[in-house]
Amino acid sequence: MKNWWFIRGLRKGIMTEKYPKELPEWSTEIQGQGNANCPTNAIKDEKWIKEKCIFCRRCYPNYKPNLNPRIYTVKKTQPLFKKSFYLYPIDSGSCGGCNMELKLLSSPEYDMTRFGIFFTNTPRHADALIIMGVLTEKMKEVLRKAYDAMPEPKVIILLGACAISGGIIGEGIPLEAAIEIAGCPPNPFTILEALTRVKEK
Amino acid sequence: MRYYKWSQQGEGRKIGKLGNYCLYEKTITEGKCEETQKPFTPQTYGSFRFIYGPSAGGLLESIKFVITTNGEKILGIEAEVYKNRTIKISGLPIDDAILKVERINAPFSASHTIAFLLSIEDALELELDYQTLLKRIAEIELERIRNHLFVIARLAETASLNVPTFHLLHLVEEVNRLIGKSCGHRYFFGVNSLNEVRCDFGNLLKIIDITKEFKQIFDGLVESRIFIDRLQENGKIKDENSVGPSARAAGFDYDARKDFKVLPYDDLGFKTITTHESDSFGRFLVRGLEILESSKMLVALYDMIKNNNTNYEKTKESYKKVGEGLVRVESPSGDLAYYVNLDNGIVKSVSLLTPSQVNLSLFLKSVTNTIFTDFQFNWESYGIWVSELGVKLE
Repeated sequence: MKNWWFIRGLRKGIMTEKYPKELPEWSTEIQGQGNANCPTNAIKDEKWIKEKCIFCRRCYPNYKPNLNPRIYTVKKTQPLFKKSFYLYPIDSGSCGGCNMELKLLSSPEYDMTRFGIFFTNTPRHADALIIMGVLTEKMKEVLRKAYDAMPEPKVIILLGACAISGGIIGEGIPLEAAIEIAGCPPNPFTILEALTRVKEK
Repeated sequence: MRYYKWSQQGEGRKIGKLGNYCLYEKTITEGKCEETQKPFTPQTYGSFRFIYGPSAGGLLESIKFVITTNGEKILGIEAEVYKNRTIKISGLPIDDAILKVERINAPFSASHTIAFLLSIEDALELELDYQTLLKRIAEIELERIRNHLFVIARLAETASLNVPTFHLLHLVEEVNRLIGKSCGHRYFFGVNSLNEVRCDFGNLLKIIDITKEFKQIFDGLVESRIFIDRLQENGKIKDENSVGPSARAAGFDYDARKDFKVLPYDDLGFKTITTHESDSFGRFLVRGLEILESSKMLVALYDMIKNNNTNYEKTKESYKKVGEGLVRVESPSGDLAYYVNLDNGIVKSVSLLTPSQVNLSLFLKSVTNTIFTDFQFNWESYGIWVSELGVKLE
């Protein structure tokens, strides 16, 4: 009886959420005014630059998170990916945080497949290259080869502060991205919602 | 250094290479530190090289394996880390250095930051606040549970057991949410500083529900022949230079929680889990049983943790000292050590020993003479993080 995984799955029921029941505050939008002791210059003229923020809390209490997880920028969409959207993740130099959060899109809470979003094992089958981490020397060539191997149309998605701006560790990815998903690391809900936006008209 | 002494000879078990030094259980020595020998790769008639990685679907991070094979059997293997990050820490004030240490490896961020801070506190000869130490244990044990759940999920995924895979990922998410709710961040970023932990562990008992659910999945996996047939006798290795769950799976009673008393684990009635399987199955068993053991510790901690204040301001005054500190903690994958030199509140130099560097040597040794279909199970069973493997601290 113990190995009847299917029945066990049914018994557990549906766990997928439209909006997460709980959000960690330090992965959401930052608001405030006054001085900020920001190590990455993510606050300039009292304006928060999400792409640079590593959520270190140095700006607290003048600046606080407001629990809005929609901290991504959509620069380009591709309606051709409406029905199915295949992602090829590539780790150019991450700390492993973005990798974990991206992997958790497969968890029942987020269940990315309900939106027709899947991971693929090869860039040949990919619609999007999703890049995590700072740019490291040896990964430059790997990134280029993966991008060249992808069929058109294709998009680049930069995941996390390291890939977008270099964060506090190094240099960001110098490629034009369709979507930039801020966070250190971004929450799975933020990633999922940003990915669904690429598929829209 | 309050916990370690310099010596010409090693004392106790050998942990591994720490910068230019060799770290043992009780001493640190200068000079040669022999690591696990790289296996010899025979070139037989018809053998060829097969490259897996650096970027591939089955790999979570970027690492390249060059596998010599005669078709099915792995005759030899070499690994090359591709995402090598150089992180500059020397010359930074302590608080700035912490931001970078947190980002060496997010899944083990609490272990890294706590080991680093403890070594700084050792150098500063600070009196450690007991409540802070208890909260640090809570962080490391939550991290251990999350990591072990994730490793077991990866093993179940490799066996194409989808229901337990997704159920385990659900539990990983639950632990992440518990951490997020307690500390404001799912990977303990911005939480730790000298003699202080900014977490409220009022919801810690939620771990009981999570581990109760895990126990059912664990029992199911242990009884699944489909699953255990892939793990038993796969990647068998008994090496006294091993650390963490890899060592404990081979019957070695190695555990920094027990043999390095910087954190008050003895006050929690903690038990080290060992098996005598020495293979991927043993490593899976140790991780599963450790989840249950860590859960018991967290329940005990719930009653012990109080939200009282530390003498933080007093601590700040004693920043400006010259000294060296060396501390080892038991991260989810084994011994993790930091050796720091401080000069007037500035980090002068830092050396790091990660469990992944020890485990990679063991993995490469254990994978020889296995077959391709065994590869992924063996790799996942070690729980190696390339991010801490490829990091160079300056």
